[in-house]
Amino acid sequence: MSTPTPEVLALLEATVDAAVIVDDRGRIAAFNRSAEEMFGYRAADALGRNIGMLMAPADRAYHDGHMRGYLAGGEPRILGRGRDVRVLHRDGSEFSVFLSVGRIPNTDPPMFLGHLHDTSLRRKALATLEKERQLNRLYLDLAQVMLVATDRAGVVRLVNQRAVRVLGKQSADIVGSSWIDCCVAPDDRATARNAFRAVLMAGGDEPQGCEYHVRSADGEDRFITWRCVALRDNNDVATGIMLSGEDVTDQRRAESEAHRALERMNSVSRLATMGEMAAGISHELNQPLAAIANYAQACARMLRTPTPDVPVISGAIEQIAGQALRAGEIIKRIRSLVRNEDVRRETRDINGLIREVNTLLASDARVHDGALALDLADELPPVTVDGVQIQQVLMNLVHNAFEASGEHGAATEVRIATRRVANGDVEVSVSDLGPGLPRDAEHRIFEPFFTTKPTGTGLGLAISRSIIKAHDARLEYRANNPRGACFYFVLPAFQESQR
Amino acid sequence: MKDSPQTVIVVDDDDAVRNSLRLLLKSAGIHAEVAESAREYLGRFDANQGGCLLLDVRMPGMSGLELQQELNMRGATIPVIFITGNGDIPMAVEAMQHGAFDFLQKPFRDQDLLDRVQRALARDTENRTRLRHTDRIRERLASLSPREREVLELVTQGKANKMVASDLGVSQRTVEIHRAHVMQKMEASSLAELVRMMMTVAPP
Repeated sequence: MSTPTPEVLALLEATVDAAVIVDDRGRIAAFNRSAEEMFGYRAADALGRNIGMLMAPADRAYHDGHMRGYLAGGEPRILGRGRDVRVLHRDGSEFSVFLSVGRIPNTDPPMFLGHLHDTSLRRKALATLEKERQLNRLYLDLAQVMLVATDRAGVVRLVNQRAVRVLGKQSADIVGSSWIDCCVAPDDRATARNAFRAVLMAGGDEPQGCEYHVRSADGEDRFITWRCVALRDNNDVATGIMLSGEDVTDQRRAESEAHRALERMNSVSRLATMGEMAAGISHELNQPLAAIANYAQACARMLRTPTPDVPVISGAIEQIAGQALRAGEIIKRIRSLVRNEDVRRETRDINGLIREVNTLLASDARVHDGALALDLADELPPVTVDGVQIQQVLMNLVHNAFEASGEHGAATEVRIATRRVANGDVEVSVSDLGPGLPRDAEHRIFEPFFTTKPTGTGLGLAISRSIIKAHDARLEYRANNPRGACFYFVLPAFQESQR
Repeated sequence: MKDSPQTVIVVDDDDAVRNSLRLLLKSAGIHAEVAESAREYLGRFDANQGGCLLLDVRMPGMSGLELQQELNMRGATIPVIFITGNGDIPMAVEAMQHGAFDFLQKPFRDQDLLDRVQRALARDTENRTRLRHTDRIRERLASLSPREREVLELVTQGKANKMVASDLGVSQRTVEIHRAHVMQKMEASSLAELVRMMMTVAPP
């Protein structure tokens, strides 16, 4: 039997696919390593045997016939074309391969090279790949976020359904175009470009966040928060970017509207509170002014006498100075209430805060012919609060307490108390000796616009509660002992470690 | 009746306002005392003390208005000047309806205060003089005998002695004697003065 030339054998070994050479009588003349793997025979066991041993029974007769026909000068049915055939593994299992056969030139008698490609594996792999591709597509399209992949130059390679919907464009109009020029709102392009560059420059797989508007086909800008990650090839070179974006336009709009509404409510309530207390405040301011006028006029009269009593006059002048400062203090308090200041957190002594606003609270007491009692515990830990807001809540609660108890002719004493509760936090309570709350009102008092007062706006408690909530606490109601209502909140004690 | 010096009493819960008012009044030569609450003032209220009251309408505990009503119930005649803030006009109106002498809005010019205080003190003097006058007439009336009282009634109705005599069934001479006693006891120099006295003590 003839053997292939060394060149042919070397070629055979270098081939990835299984390759077998047979002579004109169908005997195996060469059997490469891949063929060994494919059929489970060692080359030494296969050489010299008929190729038929590798054929599935159904194809064997057909193969022999085919070869004979060719050698008899008939049509080459297989040469140069290749077809699927069933073959037989050494362990008896059948499988499909794609077989192509060529006649090795300059061989006589002729030798044939058979190339066998395991199609079952390839098909399986192809099918798996296809399935995965579909699944990925599904993932992409199911995602509630916008997904966009671009190449290094920023040209879009892939967009999902969500992105298509947000952008209001056809996928085909986006893919192949520059992401930034095609989709990003003009004002935000610089931002988007910088973010894009930053992601490409950065190493690692850590996604980077950014926010910018995209412009939809109908010209509407949507605000998107993006997470971007670089796509890398096997050599860790960035080949593009994957962006995942969430459309937060509506959310942001709602947030800012809610925020504005709260601000509005806050200032309305401040104004309402101011209006209700205007009488008390003007009285409060009038006191020092009246005293100043009296002292000054008395001084003028005394100075016109032949022998002015200097110690009395100088005492009166000191009083004038003192009363002017008192008036200034009152104005300062009022101003701090009227200003629409931003939330400012400071570490404060709650008792100090209460004492600061005591003058205004006392004027409210005076308007209602009542008394305000302070019952402040010693050595309380500091709390982190917006002082003005907490004072506003206290004024609101004290005002309500006086109104509630005044109507019923009860003793109108309102008490502000502070104490340390079991876990070390600070409780602030405002209690009165009025009738307390009717059972059915207990659940509703914190609802906006719920009021038991004929002239109430029903906003005071709702706002107070939202302010206290912003301080990580809750404004609550309990019945007061022995009678009346008690509103209280517990502020977290300031921990040294928070510093 | 004693004639103690007239005293302005300042009732205000605000130390500064109270003390500055006292000093202002003192600088104008008016004697003033202070009380820091309506209750404190009522505790040492003396109906015989002449003067006037300077009263803050808004005070914790008993308000100025309540003090005024309490004084009215006690039959006190002391004039009351209310001191109000600028938001207290309705209160001032109510005070005036209950017989307040006047009211002043804080802060005020010293002359406005002193004018009012002077007028209030003058009114108090008048009140007290009138009061003393009617008291004296009542005392004199009480000293008359029943017959003299009858003669007085008829004479002051404008009846002549003759008619009085016939009304009472006595002689004209007897009427003349009673009438002379009445004029003497009542310290009246003429019939006209006697009529005036009777109108003073018996208005309704």
